[in-house]
Amino acid sequence: MNPANYIVLSAVLFSIGAIGVLVRRNAIVVFMCVELMLNAANLAFVAFARMNGNLDGQVVAFFVMVVAAAEVVVGLAIIVQIFRTRRSASIDEPNLLKY
Amino acid sequence: MSAPAFGMHLADVVPFNLPSIDYRLIAPILILMGAGLLSVLVEAFIPRRGRRPVQLIVVFVALLAAFAMVLAAAGSRAVTAEGSIAIDGPGLLLQGTLLLVALLAAMLMAERMVDPSGDAFAPRASTLPGSEDERQFTQRGYLQTEIWPLFCFSVSGMLLFVVSNDLLIMFVALEIMSLPLYLLAGMARRRRLLSQEAAMKYFLLGALSSAFFLYGSALLYGFSGSIDLPVIADQITAKPSQSWLLMIGAAFVLIGLLFKVGAVPFHQWVPDVYQGSPTPVTGFMAATVKIAAFGALLRVLYVALGGLQWDWAPMLWIIAILTMVVGSVIAITQTDIKRMLAYSSIAQAGFILVGVVAATREGLASALFYLIAYAFTTIGAFAVIAMARDSSGEATHLSRWAGLGRKSPIVATAFTIFMLALAGIPLTSGFIAKFSVFTAAIAAGDTWLVIVAVLASLVAAFFYLRVVVLMFFAEPGPETATVAVPSVFTTVALAAGATVTVVLGVVPQPVLEMVANADVFIR
Amino acid sequence: MNVYTPILVLGILAFGFALFSVTLAGFTGPKRYNRAKLAAYECGIEPTPQPVGGGRFAIKYYLTAMLFIVFDIEIVFLYPWAVAFDQLALFGLIEMVLFIIAVLVVYAYVWRRRGLEWD
Repeated sequence: MNPANYIVLSAVLFSIGAIGVLVRRNAIVVFMCVELMLNAANLAFVAFARMNGNLDGQVVAFFVMVVAAAEVVVGLAIIVQIFRTRRSASIDEPNLLKY
Repeated sequence: MSAPAFGMHLADVVPFNLPSIDYRLIAPILILMGAGLLSVLVEAFIPRRGRRPVQLIVVFVALLAAFAMVLAAAGSRAVTAEGSIAIDGPGLLLQGTLLLVALLAAMLMAERMVDPSGDAFAPRASTLPGSEDERQFTQRGYLQTEIWPLFCFSVSGMLLFVVSNDLLIMFVALEIMSLPLYLLAGMARRRRLLSQEAAMKYFLLGALSSAFFLYGSALLYGFSGSIDLPVIADQITAKPSQSWLLMIGAAFVLIGLLFKVGAVPFHQWVPDVYQGSPTPVTGFMAATVKIAAFGALLRVLYVALGGLQWDWAPMLWIIAILTMVVGSVIAITQTDIKRMLAYSSIAQAGFILVGVVAATREGLASALFYLIAYAFTTIGAFAVIAMARDSSGEATHLSRWAGLGRKSPIVATAFTIFMLALAGIPLTSGFIAKFSVFTAAIAAGDTWLVIVAVLASLVAAFFYLRVVVLMFFAEPGPETATVAVPSVFTTVALAAGATVTVVLGVVPQPVLEMVANADVFIR
Repeated sequence: MNVYTPILVLGILAFGFALFSVTLAGFTGPKRYNRAKLAAYECGIEPTPQPVGGGRFAIKYYLTAMLFIVFDIEIVFLYPWAVAFDQLALFGLIEMVLFIIAVLVVYAYVWRRRGLEWD
């Protein structure tokens, strides 16, 4: 199978994630969309590693997985704390900071 | 590629060399990471009462030891750790500056005299704002010490960020730097709803930008077959036809970095995060993240994308103009001093970008000088903001600053020095910084950019001087904030910030020579 | 056939260990019989009847999930090392021990801060 197809798939996943970040209103969902973008990048790295014939891309994928896990933990901690305070995970509701 | 033969390890097929790592050159990073781990252990095993002094010793010793290692490495020019870390003049200069500024920021964070109920951080970040638990912890005088491991890890990430020579290390360093900052932003003792909101905005937008950076790295890897910055540069010169992988990849990587820098149109997080975070953290973040992110941006532009200069220069031209104009103009309308300084930091990022766009050796040197001058001035300015208070916490509304100069002339004078420096008035570091950036840009032929920059700095001077006028030429009223008497920590940080700002303005020659001798990035 | 022998041995060892542990637990562990033992899942949230609005998970589930993710993903670095550990020799071993120490420091912190206790 042509590995270029995986690049197209990763671009589609990245776009879905980016659009999700822009249009969704729930912090958890926005956050999941960011994770989707990171995983799209991972897929691109692995596919390019196959196309380029070296292992760099696969090594990067390992590191990105770990970094993404750390990001999940930090993000969930912040969102859960806001949820406990406000009983809502909407990103529109916290609006004390403007202009 | 054929599959490895049966019964053989992959390692038998791929020849393997042990990596060579020069531990002396990466010692500053390792020291800070080790200090972070030690600091976590202190949190785990030392009883509450003893934690704060032990943590402070760990942090300050680590910062000073790391700075000594940077000094010891001065003059080195080497690529180590299998090409993933490049120790060179600009890298070491930025590392040294980062450590000194972090030292001052640590002093601000350690301050516990200005707030009668403790320091600037919530006694327990997990308690609900306004809850009985929170009240109890405050009453018992609990202090947050978990900020120190976070601080150490963040600084270690910054140190790695400015010397990373491949896109993977750069991404990991970006995250090590940012993740602790997201948490620190949400830990303010007072106005906790604001602080938590700032943390969430910072986190979501920061994660988005790092996703862009990562996807851009993937595309650059697809283009060049490597994540090393010098190899990417070689591939750009070797493949004359411009591919879409390269163009989009470079753009995404730059978007990720410009976000951290706070350039328009990726600046929306800056005002909210600067206003909501605890003031010492705002000072720390404003000064150090700017240095680290510009360091990485310069390295990517000069080392990896040097061959694409004719493609990125026009884009950065537009971004620099937008950043200077939007930052300066919106800052005029602000009524909150922290928010005003946030927009001012956006405008300052624009001025530094003028030096970056020049893409010459002088441009690099002037951008480095600007970063040093800006960092010390900013940390001093936020030290003053942390001291101007009323009974409910910091008095950040501008109206509360009216007449402050009559009430507390010394602190107001220090703040005036910082405002004059940010405005770029002669005899301060800001003037020399702006002057050298503009000279470098004119020498590189960007005359129009400099004209816009001068106009923008005139606009910016208006709102900086407005604060000075407000402090000294208005009568103090009942609303005027009181300046708390700080401990030695804030005093030292404030004095150091003011001294560097004045010295760099009056005798800038040694530092100017230092940045000029820093040479270019190693390839 | 020869190449499959290690897999066969591994399978026998795994089966033997599982059999041994379950049997040992049956002999040595305390025995208490109650309704919870008969539930489909002995731990976690009752799936039925579903509460209004789907119900909410308690915060402590999030804490456990976060700790699980962090410690789970760290293992990913052990696999590449395991593939090439004979080539990496002492250098790889030292690096890996340092890495495990870093993870253990975090574990010690979580344990001392009572992150592993349910209530």
